[in-house]
Amino acid sequence: MSAAARTAPPVLPTEPEAAGSGSVPVLDVVDLTVGFGSAAKRRSIPLQGIHLQVAAGERMALVGESGSGKSLTAAAVLGLLPDGAEVIRGSVRLDGEELVGASERRLRDLRGRRMAIMFQNPRASLNPVLTVGGQIAEVIRVHGEASRKESWSQAVDLLAEMGIPNAARRSKDYVHQYSGGMAQRAALAMALSCRPDLLIADEPTTGLDATLQQQVLELVVERVDSRDASLLLITHDIAVARSHCERTTVMYAGRVMESGPTASVTGDPRNPYTDALLKAFGTVEARRMYAIGGVVPTLTGELGECAFADRCPRAAPECRDGVPELRSLDDRRVACVKA
Amino acid sequence: MALAIYIGRRLVFLVVALFGVSLITFVVTRVLPGNPAYLIVGVQADESTVEAVIERLGLDEPIYSQYGHYMRQVFSGDLGDSWRTKNPVTTDIADRWPATIELASVAAVLAVAWSVPFGVVSALRRRSLSDRLANVASGLGVSIPEFWLGIILILVFFFHLDLAPAPIGRSLGTVPPEVTGLYTLDSIIAGDGGALRSALAQLALPAITLAITTGAPLLRVTRGFMRETMASHHIRSARALGVPERSIVVRHALPNVLLPVSTMAAMMYGYLLGGTVLVEFVFAWPGIGKYAIDSINASDYAPVLAAVLLSACSYIIVYLIMDILHFIIDPRTRT
Repeated sequence: MSAAARTAPPVLPTEPEAAGSGSVPVLDVVDLTVGFGSAAKRRSIPLQGIHLQVAAGERMALVGESGSGKSLTAAAVLGLLPDGAEVIRGSVRLDGEELVGASERRLRDLRGRRMAIMFQNPRASLNPVLTVGGQIAEVIRVHGEASRKESWSQAVDLLAEMGIPNAARRSKDYVHQYSGGMAQRAALAMALSCRPDLLIADEPTTGLDATLQQQVLELVVERVDSRDASLLLITHDIAVARSHCERTTVMYAGRVMESGPTASVTGDPRNPYTDALLKAFGTVEARRMYAIGGVVPTLTGELGECAFADRCPRAAPECRDGVPELRSLDDRRVACVKA
Repeated sequence: MALAIYIGRRLVFLVVALFGVSLITFVVTRVLPGNPAYLIVGVQADESTVEAVIERLGLDEPIYSQYGHYMRQVFSGDLGDSWRTKNPVTTDIADRWPATIELASVAAVLAVAWSVPFGVVSALRRRSLSDRLANVASGLGVSIPEFWLGIILILVFFFHLDLAPAPIGRSLGTVPPEVTGLYTLDSIIAGDGGALRSALAQLALPAITLAITTGAPLLRVTRGFMRETMASHHIRSARALGVPERSIVVRHALPNVLLPVSTMAAMMYGYLLGGTVLVEFVFAWPGIGKYAIDSINASDYAPVLAAVLLSACSYIIVYLIMDILHFIIDPRTRT
């Protein structure tokens, strides 16, 4: 491919079914590209040209295999990229406000107040030597005028709302006294304590019992809905996306492969990768487990071809002519020249 | 209740450990060559005098009955007599331990004061100036032998710069009236500024020597725990919800770091309390360490045994106190 094509600004497809034309999405990620190392010595480009829009009150699933860049996308949105990583280009807007290049002070103010996150492994996400209630109360105090007493009673109310029995007493407990499910409820209480516009839930049920997973997911969805907030649910489980999110974005090797209404993306995938991912999750009728051949490419530089070309059953010579653009197709966007 | 059981179990352990230490030390001192009877009566004495002394000291008895005899003595509060100083060992120790306690305490405070804050700050930013300095400081501090460092400090600060007094013990001037046995405290109690200055000046070099060599591993451990904590999931979560960096460090990370670091510091202090043999020797510091060395050189059994027992005791007791404090402070041990 020519150098011009690689560096040309991507054509931004209009979002056909974005809620209410003209309204600003809560989260608007455009052409986000993240690299490790300095410009002179680039070690890898783990995110390349990410587009992701989450409208107000919408639930978006971010689906992909491990290493596809889902969590790194979340870190980039929060401005908490790991040491050595930087945004090379692109933009992240929260309610229209640009976050790339924003001051650390401004980002810190937005984190927890306007955008919040809950992680997998909830018991490790809470500090072992501080009380659970105290940690929630601190987040409330950091972002508002509440006194110590007010913030604490709000924390107790939040814990009760998330279904912690005896919240007043349990708020004084430490995380080692909580079960995994309770700890995740507490983490949800903490994340929603300042009524953020956007909650990012990064694999919130990984590591929980199967019976708890459904409960916790339902609680997350319900509590986010009751606050009219938006949800970005990061998951590797396409079934979770199907049952809880209106829209789904599929990522592979640090790129967006397909994005659109969950029903269309999972019911009628246009990108061969989405199709393969769906097959891999399989249905009981399938006699053998489907596995995608080959391995995820290592991203040592910007790709000059479709990242999935080596493993794609429908790969053709034109797939290697350049990185497929994310283009609008009916009700969605697809990055595949064959779609 | 859990605490009582815990303390009880630790006290049983203390007794068992002391029995073990006493047994090993007793056997080792007895099988070493050198007969104290000759040292007492002199080489010129005739056979029958030596025999008489050996019998009087019970050295002709089998070793197990000697040990039994010694332990009965110990439990009645008698650590035997020193053949070298002609005093009961308890008296000698009461005279010398305050010197060691004073030196150990000042050294421990100095060691913690420089190494823990340095370790915390240097862990915050990798490859920063403080991180590099901490690397050099801990590397040097761990590898420099303390007796050599003591001699170099004497050479520089006493001999060349004349900033420190001569390394000849605890005080050059008048000794304050004894209350605690610690010259610094006693001179404050007596309101004697001159004696306090003199005591501090004498303490400075040996305490700094020990603070450097014992602070270095503490710096290393603090920095390691701080790095680990700052990279943990709960710190990432707190940061992702907008908790300010100051609170992240002070409220969220420090308590997690200080719990293990204080254990290390307590072990270090317990070790210092048992007598810092080399440094006391270099600075002619009249403490337990020097007493033990002088007694070993004179084949004086009772003080050596007592010094080892005291050393083990202080180590175990300081460690026990720190453990109990943790039991009370650390929420994870409460349930």
